[in-house]
Amino acid sequence: MAPILKVVNVTKYFGGVRALEDVSLEVKKGAMVGLIGPNGSGKTTLFNVITGFYPPDRGEVYFKGRRIDGLNPNEIFKMGLVRTFQNPRLFFNMSVWENMLVIPQDQKGESLLKAPFTRLWLNEEMEIARKASSLLKDFGLEDFVINKVSDLSGAHIKLLESARGLMGKGEMFLLDEPAAGVAYTDAHKIFSFIRRLRDEYGLTFFIIEHRIEVLMDYVEYVYVLHNGRLLSQGTPEEVMRDPKVIHAYIGE
Amino acid sequence: MIAFDVIGFLLSWFTFFSIYAILSMSLNLEVGYAGMANFGKVAFYGIGAYVSAYVSMSIFLSLAGLNYPLYSLEATMAMVKLSTQNPMLNISVFILTLILSFLIAGAIGYVIMYPTLRVGPAFFGITVLSFGELLRIFLRHYKPTGATYGLTGIPHPFAWIEDVFVKNLLFTSVTLIILTLLFLYAQRLVNSPLGRTMLAIREDEVAALCMGKDVPKVKGKVLFIGSGMAGIAGCILAYYIGSINPNIFVPTVTFDVWAMMILGGIGNNKGAIVGAGIITLVDRATAAINFIFPGLIIDPNFIRWMIIGLIIILVLLFKPAGLIPQKYTWTPAWKIIRPLEEKAKRRREKLLSPFKKMSKWFLMGG
Repeated sequence: MAPILKVVNVTKYFGGVRALEDVSLEVKKGAMVGLIGPNGSGKTTLFNVITGFYPPDRGEVYFKGRRIDGLNPNEIFKMGLVRTFQNPRLFFNMSVWENMLVIPQDQKGESLLKAPFTRLWLNEEMEIARKASSLLKDFGLEDFVINKVSDLSGAHIKLLESARGLMGKGEMFLLDEPAAGVAYTDAHKIFSFIRRLRDEYGLTFFIIEHRIEVLMDYVEYVYVLHNGRLLSQGTPEEVMRDPKVIHAYIGE
Repeated sequence: MIAFDVIGFLLSWFTFFSIYAILSMSLNLEVGYAGMANFGKVAFYGIGAYVSAYVSMSIFLSLAGLNYPLYSLEATMAMVKLSTQNPMLNISVFILTLILSFLIAGAIGYVIMYPTLRVGPAFFGITVLSFGELLRIFLRHYKPTGATYGLTGIPHPFAWIEDVFVKNLLFTSVTLIILTLLFLYAQRLVNSPLGRTMLAIREDEVAALCMGKDVPKVKGKVLFIGSGMAGIAGCILAYYIGSINPNIFVPTVTFDVWAMMILGGIGNNKGAIVGAGIITLVDRATAAINFIFPGLIIDPNFIRWMIIGLIIILVLLFKPAGLIPQKYTWTPAWKIIRPLEEKAKRRREKLLSPFKKMSKWFLMGG
């Protein structure tokens, strides 16, 4: 199957610091791919380059066959590439319900002239609301619809962030540590949930995770970054046996 | 004691209340909803006032075939006579300038603030603050609008009515109607998908950008509406006091409006209006007390801002979110989750019921 995301020779420097150098990778449609590496190895920078936060110094990024490096983050989101953050960036003082409804693109009610006239955007709004309520049920968040996001627990916030991503036309998700700060069993719950989403909705996931032991049970392919370079790649078993990876993680 | 004109007091309070309520509502749209700290509100207020003064006087003088400069004494004298002759002209010019000041102030707001949005929020505040002050200094030296003396003789829309009381009553009702219409518009605006998007931008600009929102565009829209509303307030002020000069539009006005918004509750249109009501009441009342009891040891006008400061401190001490705190935006989408809401409530009650029984058992002794 053709790759949905293709990164070709991406290089990024911050001043004199090398964050990424000649990183090339591919993610196939419908796959679950992991990205691991020690702290400071450039994983989040790679996500930031892919989603348009930083332009790469060199190299190209393709999504669904279209070149996306140089586009704005909102344009990349509209194409269906959704990312989450290491520290969840939800709209914390808004309700769970509003957090879901705000996502869909180019709503009619976002126009200055149409916004005051409910009739003009009512149908669209109800459609969005139905989608949101069924997603919240799927994610087991239906009891919290009227709560403020800041009142939710950590795991629920992580779930809400993924649910929110599905409100748009998300086809591929870049998840930055979906199970950070979550208990071991809950981490498994989140990952099996991600797998279920992949199977049900046909989505693609590219996941950064520090808990390698959890991640390896779920992904099909892993890339390892170290000091901005691609150190190793392969199936989880191959990577775990690679002496270079062991060296990078454990040291001498 | 001099006879005190209660109705006159109320009319003057209501007019100032409407003007400031429109200003604080417009500031609330920008600050409370879209999260843009606008410290240059007074600039757009001034633009509205100057546009209405300049346009209305030009129309009257040119229709009469008079060629005086607008700031001259002759023009002012001529306006006194001209403004009482044709009621239709007065009213239509008033409506025209209302629309014009909205559009011009809105457009200038859009143009001037749009480029500054790309810098951080602190720089945005400083930039618009200095824009307001620069505009005032420019007007102080700009001859066609009378430099420091300003323009006098703005044709009151009801100048043709001889009874001053009826004239003021009509004008105050018109301003209250304008305030009501703008309030309804603002309420509908914030309780719509646009209002939701504005709130999301205030909450986390980067996340909103990641979720595909065109942040600069939404901010531009809000600035257009906010500045336009401030322009309308300026227009009403110009007609109400009949004479404007650059020294009315000092930065203090902006901070008064901020105080009203903070007092009433940031992120709530009703709060912005209540805040404006309280502060303008204190303002008018201190002036009136001085008028009723002349020769007090302390002139209430001098401690006016101390009183307002005290009110703000007391309110924020007990209600940190302001008198009327922010609520969720309401759109028809909430109707869909009503069953879910009830289900959640039932589940909570079911969960709590063993505890309730237990506490009953303990309290009643079985």
